[in-house]
Amino acid sequence: MTTVAVHSVPDSSLFLPDLKLKRKESVLHEMVCAAQRVRVVRDAELLHETLLRRERWCPSAIGKGVAVPNARSLGVLEPRLILARAPRGVDWGASDGAAVHLVLLVLSPSEVGVEPHLERVMRAVAITRSQRNRQKLLEAADAGTVALLLRELAP
Amino acid sequence: MKVTSLLELHDLDLQLAEARHPATVAKLKKLGFEPSDPAPLERVRARLLAGVERRWVQHYVRALQRYGRGVVGMRERVCQGCFVTLPTSASPRVGESLTLCQSCGRILYWR
Repeated sequence: MTTVAVHSVPDSSLFLPDLKLKRKESVLHEMVCAAQRVRVVRDAELLHETLLRRERWCPSAIGKGVAVPNARSLGVLEPRLILARAPRGVDWGASDGAAVHLVLLVLSPSEVGVEPHLERVMRAVAITRSQRNRQKLLEAADAGTVALLLRELAP
Repeated sequence: MKVTSLLELHDLDLQLAEARHPATVAKLKKLGFEPSDPAPLERVRARLLAGVERRWVQHYVRALQRYGRGVVGMRERVCQGCFVTLPTSASPRVGESLTLCQSCGRILYWR
């Protein structure tokens, strides 16, 4: 699989533009279920539990309104990036205290090694480093625009 | 048997491998994450391990020590650990989702 494919949002079901949920657990659940609907995930319950456990060890909020939860799990079938926006903000427990508006969920099957997985996480983090890129992702009109942006912005 | 415990144990062991590896922890910190002490993960691991049927624990530990991973997924009857295609007779019984790979001995997750 190419880098572009890994970082693009291949269809509208993996772009959740307007989440109204308030808790990060619910946001993660919604994103996992969206991935399961398009057969990226084979075991949503397992993946959700793995993500929550990872959150407790290594919280995924990186500040400036962004969270990059990620996991390697037996519950994942295909490497994929799922993007969600929460216009009202979600309390993710970020160290800067900012509510999270942009969530980039990086999923890898358990067969993927830690280095390739972290490389994908690193790219997702890098995309959201600049205010300009975050704004573009927050204002993108649809999944197609987001996919184009991710291709364009990926380092 | 608690299949969920074994699968969670597998995923947790992947996390623990990262948590125990100083270079990986350093990389996560560089990315802006704040990984904490892995001790609570170790406690969860012990609890999960206690919930897994003994025979599966033996297979799991053996495969983990040998290959670094105790459970692998199945795709179209191909073990994702050794990539050998297994015969249809190797499929799990109705209502079950785990078997052993006849080739490499890893536990196979068939869902």
